[in-house]
Amino acid sequence: MERPTPEAGNAARTARPSGGRPAFLPSAVDPTVFDEDFLRRLQRLAVLVKLPVRGGLKGGRRSVKRGQSVEFADYRDYTLGDDLRQLDWNVYARLEKLLVKLFIEEEDLTVTLLVDGSASMAHGSPDKLVFAKRAAAALGYIALAAEDRVVLASLGGRAARRRAALRGSGRAFRLLADLSAIQPAAGVTDLVAACRHALAQVTGRGVIVLISDLLDPGAERALRDLAGTGSEVIVLHVLAPDELNPTLDGDLRLVDAETGSTVDVTLDLAARDRYTERVGAWQVELAALAAKRRIAYVPLASDVPLADLVFAELRRRRVVG
Amino acid sequence: MPFAAPLALLGLAFLPLVVAFWMLKLRRTERTVSSTLLWQRFGEDLQANAPWQRLRRSFLLLLQLLLVILLAFLAAQPFVERPATLARDLVVVVDASASMAATDVAPSRLEAAKALALDALRDLPAGGRVSVVAAGATPRVVANATADMGRVRVALAGITATPASADMGEALALASALAARAGDAQVLVATDAAFSPPKGLEVAAPVTVLQVGRERKNQAIVAFAVRSAPTAVTRSVFISVANLDLEPADERVELWGDGRLLEARDLFLDPVSRADIGIDDVPLDVRVLEARLAGDDQLALDDRAWAVVPPDRLLRILLVSEGDPYLETALSFLPNAELYGVTPADYGTGTKPELFDLVIFDAALPATLPRVPTLAIAPPRSGPLGTVTGTLEDPALGRPTPDEPLLRYVDLTTLHVAQAARLSLPAWARTVVPTAAGDPLLYTGSRDGVATGVLAFEPRRSDLPLQVAFPILVSNLVGELVGASRAPTAAVAPGSLVSLPIPSGATGLRVTRPDATTLDLAPAVTGGATATFAATEQLGIYTVTPLGLGGAGRAPSGSPGGSPAASPTAAPASSAPPSPLVVDPSAPVQFAVDLFDVGESTIAPGSAAAVERLGSAVTGNGAGGAGNDRPPARDDLWIPLAAIALAFLVLEAIIVQRDALVRMRRWLAGRLGRGGAPAPPAGSTLPRPGRPA
Repeated sequence: MERPTPEAGNAARTARPSGGRPAFLPSAVDPTVFDEDFLRRLQRLAVLVKLPVRGGLKGGRRSVKRGQSVEFADYRDYTLGDDLRQLDWNVYARLEKLLVKLFIEEEDLTVTLLVDGSASMAHGSPDKLVFAKRAAAALGYIALAAEDRVVLASLGGRAARRRAALRGSGRAFRLLADLSAIQPAAGVTDLVAACRHALAQVTGRGVIVLISDLLDPGAERALRDLAGTGSEVIVLHVLAPDELNPTLDGDLRLVDAETGSTVDVTLDLAARDRYTERVGAWQVELAALAAKRRIAYVPLASDVPLADLVFAELRRRRVVG
Repeated sequence: MPFAAPLALLGLAFLPLVVAFWMLKLRRTERTVSSTLLWQRFGEDLQANAPWQRLRRSFLLLLQLLLVILLAFLAAQPFVERPATLARDLVVVVDASASMAATDVAPSRLEAAKALALDALRDLPAGGRVSVVAAGATPRVVANATADMGRVRVALAGITATPASADMGEALALASALAARAGDAQVLVATDAAFSPPKGLEVAAPVTVLQVGRERKNQAIVAFAVRSAPTAVTRSVFISVANLDLEPADERVELWGDGRLLEARDLFLDPVSRADIGIDDVPLDVRVLEARLAGDDQLALDDRAWAVVPPDRLLRILLVSEGDPYLETALSFLPNAELYGVTPADYGTGTKPELFDLVIFDAALPATLPRVPTLAIAPPRSGPLGTVTGTLEDPALGRPTPDEPLLRYVDLTTLHVAQAARLSLPAWARTVVPTAAGDPLLYTGSRDGVATGVLAFEPRRSDLPLQVAFPILVSNLVGELVGASRAPTAAVAPGSLVSLPIPSGATGLRVTRPDATTLDLAPAVTGGATATFAATEQLGIYTVTPLGLGGAGRAPSGSPGGSPAASPTAAPASSAPPSPLVVDPSAPVQFAVDLFDVGESTIAPGSAAAVERLGSAVTGNGAGGAGNDRPPARDDLWIPLAAIALAFLVLEAIIVQRDALVRMRRWLAGRLGRGGAPAPPAGSTLPRPGRPA
């Protein structure tokens, strides 16, 4: 049997897909979403939560409950039936009062990823839906690596398609496979109805991440609904560069990709400038609403590199850390 | 507002068409976008034109409607009317004399006069006709009874100042003749009136003077001559400078020879005075002299003058005579002349008279006359020089022509002639000195191109040799006969005719004018010895080169080096040996054209009233006759309308191309380091126009 020559080894190395493609990814995972190096960097991050959470299982997050952790929280008077092991005998020796030590309970965190799968997300260059999947994968992977519970739901039509909850970093590929399976919905998507459907399936307080272009007449209503759950809400508002700065020119009939409705416009430089200014104003309105509702609002362009989004933009906004 | 072509207002029917175009639904290109929500929400005012039923307000539409209205008005040729102050037939006489080149009014009097004339034409009645007369040395009609103002403008623009005196009398007579053709006529004279109104002239129409000119500051060279001393060793230059201003003037006179400065003199000139300068010792090799006034005055034409140094030509005169001491003495006094003598008996085929510049037959006449200038004295018989019909005994002298050049400085009032031949005047000759009965005593002319003179009496048979006039007359006669075969050596007045000799064997002449343009001349008759040159309207040096000799490019006449083909065979009467200073007849010659006109140099504006008095009684509006039914004058309004239409077009183009203009402005702002883009919304990472995220 012939041993491979160094030249053959070089040829084998050069035959590997370029761009750091993870050869170990399952075939169900879209290779454009992640690579190995990126995943390793994500493991060092976690989704930041400003308030204590109310989870189900034991986890790494501070809970609103008092429990069995080692972190002291408070004292209370002893009542009949309390575990005598919790009495603070040192205090009793000094004050001759029976006080029970309370400790902070640590529970897991549920991160719900709502990915807008409407037909409008499939437009723009680069594709907004691909960007949304990658952003959701990044945040989901961060949560899984921090032993949080991740729930993925795609919004389409008037409903949300919820996937099974995932926990532990070992379920990362499942998450990626679920994201890869999301396809743009046919027909009109009602963002408010779909969000409400998704929220109906959320239990307890956690973190809800909505990744959408918000190109829906009820986008503000949907934000209010999300804020009303008591969870921490993060909205990644994704618009394509050609939606922010359109290059259209002349007398055009614009056709809506979802509804098929048309609008006749005559565009020139001044009109495009006015459009751009008003898009900016719209985003300012949304940001004001989000601030009022304690929502973390992050406007994004779909051509922002994912690394910049996660390691710069989201860290700057204290979404991850 | 009246219109010349009111039917053109039908063009306003295009207005609904323009509106219809704006109401038409555009054929739009379909583009699929992610959502029309953004466009519905933010682009409501971008919807330009819904179909027919709704017309949006648009500045562009307004501009186009105004443009259609303007174009329709332009085509209709609107005008405003006002009473005409000019007659229906107008004759404009523009003075183009040298004084009109004065610059006391910018840019010159002539240009100001033309502008005044054009301005006055605005008062011409509708349908009025205009004739334009350019009053130069020879008046000419440059536009004849035309109603086309464009042609009148071109005709006026084509008039240039001539460096000569204008014949205003002839010009006004011409204008009078043009005006006399119409019933309602008027003559406009655009002039500085710096001339004496012609006496006895009455113009058959009212005359109005458009006067130009304010000042009279001018100094002029009024004479410039160069003379060789009798010894032919040195030359002297005479310059006369006149101050025609009412203020004293300091002037520097420069003498240039062949392009180099020879002498400069500073002069102080009293008001209205004249100063003469003599400059001796002009170098012998100088051929062309130029005098310049270096001062600053308002007429530049008379600040330069030119003179051609007369060639040091040695005249060879052959006297065929039995011997006349008076005549021989007079001839021997001529400068640069060599006198040869031969008796009539020895005159024959071996004499070779063609080697001489002048042959004088004293009481003798050969059978064949030479083809050189000839002077016959008392011809004994009839011949080509005249028919002898008898003898005149003690004839009384008649009155010669006063300005006869041959009799300049010659006083013949005390002349007595004992006996003279009675001659009948040939057709080629003119009488210089007649008898009281009209018989010619002295006549000259060009006989078959050969200068010829005939004196009907022998000097010794009169008291002429005893008078001072005799050597002068001999000198004038020799100068006339010999000089007629050469280019003029004295200054020529601009616009005057010059008779140029054509050397034997040459087919014509080429004249190079001061501006380096050339003109070829041919003899008036086949085989003629002279050609007439009239294009002397430029001041400066003219060079005449014979054609057909192959000698073009030789040095101008006067330069030594030529030699006769053969030496004279006749014995010289004088003891001086033949000189080598003989001129090649085929060499180029030069002559100068100078202004030397005190009248034109006096640029003080004259009396306009004196010129206007030449016209007939005013028959304008209100005086009855043709003035009553005179149509009003029209002012066309197309120029402001066209300007407004052009402005609209430019504005429309700017609006249509505003995107390019905005891009250019932003590019410039970017180059200059100023941010032209608006600030992004707070907290946004979105890219802004022209700036990456």
